[in-house]
Amino acid sequence: MRGLLYLAFIALLFIAAPAQAFAQTKNGVLDIQEVTSEKGMTAWLVEDHSVPVIAMKFGWRGAGAALDPVDKQGLARMLSNTLDEGAGALDSQAFQKALRDDVISLGFSASRDDFTGALKTLTKNKERAFELTALALSKPRFDKDAVERMRQSNQSRIRSSLSDPDWMAARLVNDKAFEGHPYALNSGGTLSSLERIQPADLKKLHQATLGRNNLSVAVAGDITAEELRDVLDQVFAHLPEVQLPEMKDLGVQNEGKVFLYRRDIPQSVIEIMQPGIGRDDPRFHTAQVMNFVLGSSGFGSRLTREIREKRGLTYGIYSNFYELTHFKGLAVSTSTANKNVGEMLSLIKGEFNRMVNTPISADELKDAQSYLIGSLPLSLTSSDKIAGLMNSLQLEGLPIDYLDQRKKAIEATNIQDIQTLAKALLAPEKFVTIIVGAPEGLDDAVTVKSLPHVE
Amino acid sequence: MAFLVAFLVACLASGAYAGPSTIKNEQAATPEGTAQERDKVFNAESFMLDNGMEVVVIENHRAPVVTHMVWYKFGAADEPAGKSGIAHFLEHLMFKGSAQIGGRDLKPGEFSEIVRSMGGNDNAFTGQDYISYFQSVPSEHLETVMRMEAGRINGLKPPADEVLSERKVILEERKQRTDNDPRGQFGEQLAAVAFINHPYGIPVIGWKHEMDALSYDDAKAFYDRWYAPNNAILVVSGDVTPGRVFDLAIRIYGQLPREDVPERHRTRSPVLNSHTSVALEHPAIREPVVQSLFRVPSARQNRQDSLALEVLEEILGGGPTSRLYKSLVVDRKIASNAGMVYSPAAWDDSSVWIYATPLEGQTLDTVQKALMDELRKLIKDGVGKHELRDAKARMQDEAIYARDSLTGPAMVIGAGLATGRSLDDIEYWPYDIGAVSAEQVVAVASMFLNPDKPTDHPPVSGYLLPKAEGEK
Repeated sequence: MRGLLYLAFIALLFIAAPAQAFAQTKNGVLDIQEVTSEKGMTAWLVEDHSVPVIAMKFGWRGAGAALDPVDKQGLARMLSNTLDEGAGALDSQAFQKALRDDVISLGFSASRDDFTGALKTLTKNKERAFELTALALSKPRFDKDAVERMRQSNQSRIRSSLSDPDWMAARLVNDKAFEGHPYALNSGGTLSSLERIQPADLKKLHQATLGRNNLSVAVAGDITAEELRDVLDQVFAHLPEVQLPEMKDLGVQNEGKVFLYRRDIPQSVIEIMQPGIGRDDPRFHTAQVMNFVLGSSGFGSRLTREIREKRGLTYGIYSNFYELTHFKGLAVSTSTANKNVGEMLSLIKGEFNRMVNTPISADELKDAQSYLIGSLPLSLTSSDKIAGLMNSLQLEGLPIDYLDQRKKAIEATNIQDIQTLAKALLAPEKFVTIIVGAPEGLDDAVTVKSLPHVE
Repeated sequence: MAFLVAFLVACLASGAYAGPSTIKNEQAATPEGTAQERDKVFNAESFMLDNGMEVVVIENHRAPVVTHMVWYKFGAADEPAGKSGIAHFLEHLMFKGSAQIGGRDLKPGEFSEIVRSMGGNDNAFTGQDYISYFQSVPSEHLETVMRMEAGRINGLKPPADEVLSERKVILEERKQRTDNDPRGQFGEQLAAVAFINHPYGIPVIGWKHEMDALSYDDAKAFYDRWYAPNNAILVVSGDVTPGRVFDLAIRIYGQLPREDVPERHRTRSPVLNSHTSVALEHPAIREPVVQSLFRVPSARQNRQDSLALEVLEEILGGGPTSRLYKSLVVDRKIASNAGMVYSPAAWDDSSVWIYATPLEGQTLDTVQKALMDELRKLIKDGVGKHELRDAKARMQDEAIYARDSLTGPAMVIGAGLATGRSLDDIEYWPYDIGAVSAEQVVAVASMFLNPDKPTDHPPVSGYLLPKAEGEK
């Protein structure tokens, strides 16, 4: 299962996933220190000297693809592709060779909301790693040649994706559920919008969005707080203060409608979106437990049991909360043979209604709580994962002891609250449904002639 | 992370070679002295149960969790003729009810539900040469997952009605992976041509017409023939000591009797002398792809050749500073991407894939020739001293990253052992890479990837092409 939407789900799951006390940590779930540098830069740090590896994840809140102009969709993505394509005196090949020779992994990416970076280095090469990261952030070159190469690579990626029905369905659900909002645009760019992006645009975006005031930094691995203080100043203190434009909140658009993009393939891909719930809502953890029972857990979830295990209608079906800074949704993703699409849609609605109409069992509650709490350590098994989890928490604006609070909040969920929430939230009549394929017997669908924001 | 990736690619792909050994083993001795004095990558401990089941433990106390995997030393390549997909179908049925050592039988779906309720995850995967079942759980639950997994080795009990619905599931899986995207169909057909009369030419998921007819009896026959403790490897990675794992393994897996199991005996490809091209034109394709598939030795077949191929992969295909990318993408600007992939983990022949995505306006032939010219150049002019040294140093350093993971080391070791490598081969891999010479790298390129001197199994060139709507 691929697709833009699905990738976003993984990111969400990562945070939403899981917790339990660590034998070896003294301060709760994860022993996070807050480190502040001389010049006032801060970072969260989990020290671990068991493997000579350092992982650093950093992100700029609000600097993501939602800021892309309509005629230059893909701009933030292009910035993420070109920041490591030469800086200072090093051109693209020299910069890449410097990284490669010291097996330093440095990369950037742009989600709809945020712009993020990831650095991983062996301890013995750390000085060079921090130096190259600082260089990429302070003096990126955006050479014409490198920009052109990344443009071509993105255009190639888009054309390749055009035989992937999962990708097409993800494109359409973004377009329809977010219609009229910058979120509806193609964060990966379009074939023509990429053509219009020039080095000057990248330079401008770099200066306007990657600031010191919207930055969060998380580090895990073989480094001390003392060392990290200096690194923070070396790598990030030169960044400017930035002011980002305000963006409007958004509800699900096109509620109740079914859209069909007809393709001559044997299996229809289905994406559904309905209103969701945000982390700032006091019912957030109740919602996580409910959705674990409904469909986020894969094996053992009601959707999987009824639709895959009992009837063999699909290889996979998942429901996941889809949270962006300005949008809260609940999505269902699946696929099924063309002739079964009608049955599939009514089974999904049936499971939503069952959750609304009958309380979950005590066993379901207990298993969901125990998974959501107990599986957290599985997200904390490498420097990479620990730094990534911390940076996600930071970008969501959550406190440093969030993982401990989360455990208590999940323990406090109960059957009654879950049903009350299900009644308030789950609404099959509000589904915006996207189908890519050749479904049979689907009368009420609006046919989409061509994929928006691709060409 | 070439080190890790190289092993893992084999999970889905497959590979192979049956030719003669080419390079003598003279480079194998390392300057560092005997094996005992050298650093190992993972420091794994191993142990053999009386019933022939191998047990490997990788300690890692980073978080209070363990990954528990059972690897079977057979796979889709060992299916009977006409029953393609049965190994994978059976893997699905293994979640539909089974016995448990020291506990009651598990109902369909209950295995995974119990793992979830512990705060754990579980799954399984099937390759050409191995099948693997795994759980990642908080360490205190290791014994429970061991009891459940051991019960599946000879106590499968799926009810009949679960079998028919699960066959629908694997058919949907095939559509999702292959039938819905021409890129999936293309890869399947390329392998089918490159591995004529060898099971690696048959997709792991199965051919649709054969999957349609798979029955419970077929699955049971495969199960009875192959599944046995002496045909399995237990790999445990995480917050546990080797002593504790060995003790549990003796008490739980040790209860299972040794069984007679067959050798892995596969049909072989005949000697061929035609250069084959596979072209798929499809209206859904917008971006053409050019690739060539070469049959080369796996690590089991020829360890020295395989090590040299890994170094060759780093030089030709290791990212944006590699020869292929630099030549086709950066300098000549005729492709948007180019590279090479080699996976050493296979029981029979392995494969090298060399590929490029042509830029608009470039003919496929131009790009294909540019790829082959890079091979010719390396064979003719050799590999530079610094180029070789830097490539090997990068590969050795990357092995350190492989340790920074819970499941990664268990995957590398499980896949390696299941495809005929020894634990030492894996633990001392960085030293063996260090000993590869420039002559060896050129020799494997010349012997197996020479565009002008095909082997007994000539490469297959593949062209994935757009086709205007309406054309037939």
